Amino acid sequence: MLGYSYIKRRMDRAAINMASIALSVSFLSTLMLTDAFYRAYAQAGGSRLSVETYQYWLVFVALAVSIVGITNAMLIAVYERYREIGTMKCIGAFDRHILLLFLVESFIEGAVGGVVGFFVGLFAALLSTGFTTGFDIVLRVPAAELLGFFAGSSLLSMILSVAATLYPAYRAARLTPVEALSYEL
Amino acid sequence: MSFDTIIELEDLARHYEMGGVAIRALDGIDLQFGRGEYVSIVGPSGSGKTTLFNMIGGLDRPTRGRVYIDGVDISKLDAYELAWLRCRKIGYIFQTFNLIQVLTALENVALPTIFAGVHRDEGLAKAEKLLASVGLGDRLHHRPMELSAGQQQRVAIARAMANDPAIILADEPTGNLDLNTGMEIIDLLHGLNRTRGMTLIAATHDLAMIKASDRIVWLRDGKIEKIERS
Repeated sequence: MLGYSYIKRRMDRAAINMASIALSVSFLSTLMLTDAFYRAYAQAGGSRLSVETYQYWLVFVALAVSIVGITNAMLIAVYERYREIGTMKCIGAFDRHILLLFLVESFIEGAVGGVVGFFVGLFAALLSTGFTTGFDIVLRVPAAELLGFFAGSSLLSMILSVAATLYPAYRAARLTPVEALSYEL
Repeated sequence: MSFDTIIELEDLARHYEMGGVAIRALDGIDLQFGRGEYVSIVGPSGSGKTTLFNMIGGLDRPTRGRVYIDGVDISKLDAYELAWLRCRKIGYIFQTFNLIQVLTALENVALPTIFAGVHRDEGLAKAEKLLASVGLGDRLHHRPMELSAGQQQRVAIARAMANDPAIILADEPTGNLDLNTGMEIIDLLHGLNRTRGMTLIAATHDLAMIKASDRIVWLRDGKIEKIERS
């Protein structure tokens, strides 16, 4: 209930987080899909094209950057809510409630970012391959493979987003109420 | 009137250092609070009121001495048990209301019931009743920003009562309110103290609040200056 309300009310930061994860996931899915399209193209008798290995390294870097970005944004969110965290602890919140609050928030952001990222990636992959392979290439890739990519990138995005928030959420949960309440921003 | 003891403070002291200077925020307090009693804590700022509240509320640990709530020495409790205590036994009311801005009045009041593990619908139903009892039955879905200061404090009072605590700690509850609104809040708190039998401990400068109480404890420099019965 709370995690959702926070995203709704503080849309700006949530949007940046989601965009950051969506961008890196879209990069990943662009490469995976391009590769899949090329394979399908080759199977259908077209020339053999392939994705360069170094591009996967770039994806790795992009994912790492988005993790750092989310951790940073969530740390700011923790500072911003010091008083609220203190208040909640005062009225009886356990550490795990505060922890969950931030993790649920980042889980939702990760899920949205992952889904958006996949479709952006699909679009980008089509744009980059479509002119050589024909745009109907997407129909020639087995549906199960596409679904697998979709599930994989969404799952990865949720895991990364939650992992990036572990440290900020832990810090928030471990605050003592007096410390948190007397903090002036 | 006589009350059985619910809170007992024994030689309670809290010292800390600030910029190399030792501060004795509390320095040997012996005090008892009765069940259902209404006590005002009065003193200039820096006299140790807030520190005393933090001690009773289990928010901070004493340097010396003991705090017993219902016969349990709370300095022996771990962080989890203290959170449980704050959740079930103590209701906190702040000078600055401290409502969660992103939640509606109803959700704010239901929040402590969620912490207590009460089922969501049950918590919301209870919150609705409580808001009605503080006169805000028609403001359930407003957010704090859409409410006046007095209404916000009413929401905070309803929130403090969400888990039927035995003790209400109110730190200058009328400090940010004008005279009339403050009077309404005092009447509300006093009424709850009388009808529900909750022990009400209020730090205040407000004469009207002091007058309504059973006992007045004057603090100065971390010590009890005098205790008056009214």
